[in-house]
Amino acid sequence: MTNINAFAGVDVGSLGTKAVILVNGEIAGSSLIRTGINSVENGLESLEKALDSANLKKEDLKYIVGTGYGRISAPYANKTITEITCHAKGAHYLHPATRTIIDMGGQDCKAIRVDEEGNVVDFAMNDKCAAGTGRFLEVMANVFKVDISELGPLALKATQVLPVSSTCTVFAESETVSLLARGEKPEDIIIGVHHAIANRIKGLFSRVGIQSDVFFSGGVAKNTGMRKALEEVLEVRIANPENDPQLVGAIGAAVSAQRLYEKSGNVSQRSA
Amino acid sequence: MAIKTLDIIRRRVEERPEELKKERANGKKVLGWIGYHIPEEVAYSLGFIPIRISVGGDSKLVEVGARYASSKTCVFLREIVGAFAENTDPYIQETDVLAFDATCLQNFRAAEVIEYFFKRDVVVLGVPRNVYWEEAIEYFTQEAKEFTRLLEERAGVSVDKKKLAEAVDLFNKIRAALKEIYQYQASKGNVISWLEVYDLIQAGYVLDKQEYLQLLQQTLAELKEQQSYIDIEQEAGEARIFISGSVIPRGDRKLINIITSLGGRIVGDDIWTGIIPYLDLNIKEISPEGIALGYLNRTPHGALPYLELKTDKRLKKLHGLLDEYKAQGVIYHTLRYCDPYTFKAKETKDVLAQSGIPLLEIHTEYAGSDYEAIRTRVEAFVEMIRNQTIESEEEVSA
Repeated sequence: MTNINAFAGVDVGSLGTKAVILVNGEIAGSSLIRTGINSVENGLESLEKALDSANLKKEDLKYIVGTGYGRISAPYANKTITEITCHAKGAHYLHPATRTIIDMGGQDCKAIRVDEEGNVVDFAMNDKCAAGTGRFLEVMANVFKVDISELGPLALKATQVLPVSSTCTVFAESETVSLLARGEKPEDIIIGVHHAIANRIKGLFSRVGIQSDVFFSGGVAKNTGMRKALEEVLEVRIANPENDPQLVGAIGAAVSAQRLYEKSGNVSQRSA
Repeated sequence: MAIKTLDIIRRRVEERPEELKKERANGKKVLGWIGYHIPEEVAYSLGFIPIRISVGGDSKLVEVGARYASSKTCVFLREIVGAFAENTDPYIQETDVLAFDATCLQNFRAAEVIEYFFKRDVVVLGVPRNVYWEEAIEYFTQEAKEFTRLLEERAGVSVDKKKLAEAVDLFNKIRAALKEIYQYQASKGNVISWLEVYDLIQAGYVLDKQEYLQLLQQTLAELKEQQSYIDIEQEAGEARIFISGSVIPRGDRKLINIITSLGGRIVGDDIWTGIIPYLDLNIKEISPEGIALGYLNRTPHGALPYLELKTDKRLKKLHGLLDEYKAQGVIYHTLRYCDPYTFKAKETKDVLAQSGIPLLEIHTEYAGSDYEAIRTRVEAFVEMIRNQTIESEEEVSA
């Protein structure tokens, strides 16, 4: 191990695997790859890429924290922490005034309340169904024959919000197909889909409450249409940090790695 | 050191179905029951072998049950109905008379379905919604009388006061022993876990009551030998969890296993299938109605409404138990379509938040598809509790 003060966070999500390297408390490197079938390999590959971007080697790292659904098989990590805690830490690192986080990832969405230190004080997650997740939006993008990244900009071109009543992935797909067949404009349907999701997210916040500043993390946070729909439905302004919102979990994992290292002062050997 | 009597109890539970067969062959009758207000002492004094029917955790049986009961019936009762349809559970096979109560209206509906489709002999005990009204007490007294009459008819004998007093004495001793054992699991240096006590409670659903009491007393003797003190305090690094909410019957250990596998320490519960039915039962008069009123005056079941949040007995009891067992957070378990508990999750959470106690709602069913999603929530909750403990410890040391 070298004397570089370097830490890593690896977030193996259902759609994307992310890694962030923190050196002296600053983000020195990161990576984002598509999650494949082997979460251990995905985590290691993402970590290697993040290390490359920071011009570091694995031996330079003092502590690694794994998170995301793939944390259950992360032998390269010194410790694993849930993505709920990591998103809280990551959002607090990027925007310390954060008190509420909306995290919309590939397979779930979360409402997280944090204190002034970025500690979780309450949270709620969607139950089972894919509504309000990246996977849901992928299905919708497929209906409109566009790339998922185009959904947000298209939603912003809408002239009216067409009500889409269903947030079940299967039913919403058939509902949008019907609306298209009826001759409705795709942009108006797309913003309607985003509003339907936002209304569902509002239900999560009825369980945990909402307090400014509100931070939006996860892959879906890149979607400008979703951001707008959430601001309208939740009647809040969402903070707008410059970093990639999909990296927030990995950033939080790296921040936690540094904190855990500093607290323990004595780190066991990594196993991979 | 393990409590050896627990192994004996597990073995005796395994042997029990065969025993029941023999007892029935010798002329004894089995009363299978499901509910919260069934006065077991009355059935016992009439010569019935009371067996609390408790199946759970089998999604295939839930699907079978859905052929007969509405799919909006909770998964626990759908599985019960499914178990009657399949008729493979040994206790269901050995049941002569079934007793249900109307504490939960879904329970009442399940009774009707089982009677109609499977031609079982079913007796139902009506239960008032508001247990505080004079009229409610009068209604329940009449229900208890009628329930007793129906059992007497099936037993072929009338209630004998001496036998009833003996039954009350036996059941009081069982409740007292369970309460004492329960204290040990929450203590520092505990040699018995909450789950072991929970299983022990559910063993009592089927075992012979005299033998059960003797085994409980044997367990207590072992506990006293191995753990000389009861000191219920939070220890460093612990995440002391209290489980509340919907029924967790034998066969369903998903949530419990997740909590314990993630290092959460369960220290208490107020679940229908846990310790709560055995607490605060004060029988003032040895009569079927007196016993029934004792049952009615306990902590109300979740299916009965919160009448007034500030004075509600159930919330008061929950607060008391949280304090007694030094719990740091509540995991509130709701089963799919168990409406009575599901609808109360938010207000319970809000009430506990005023005392600084976090509550995590886990909404689930018997299928395993949500296992990882529940794991993540519980793990984050355990992290949150541990983090709060660490923060407060740091504040103290600073």
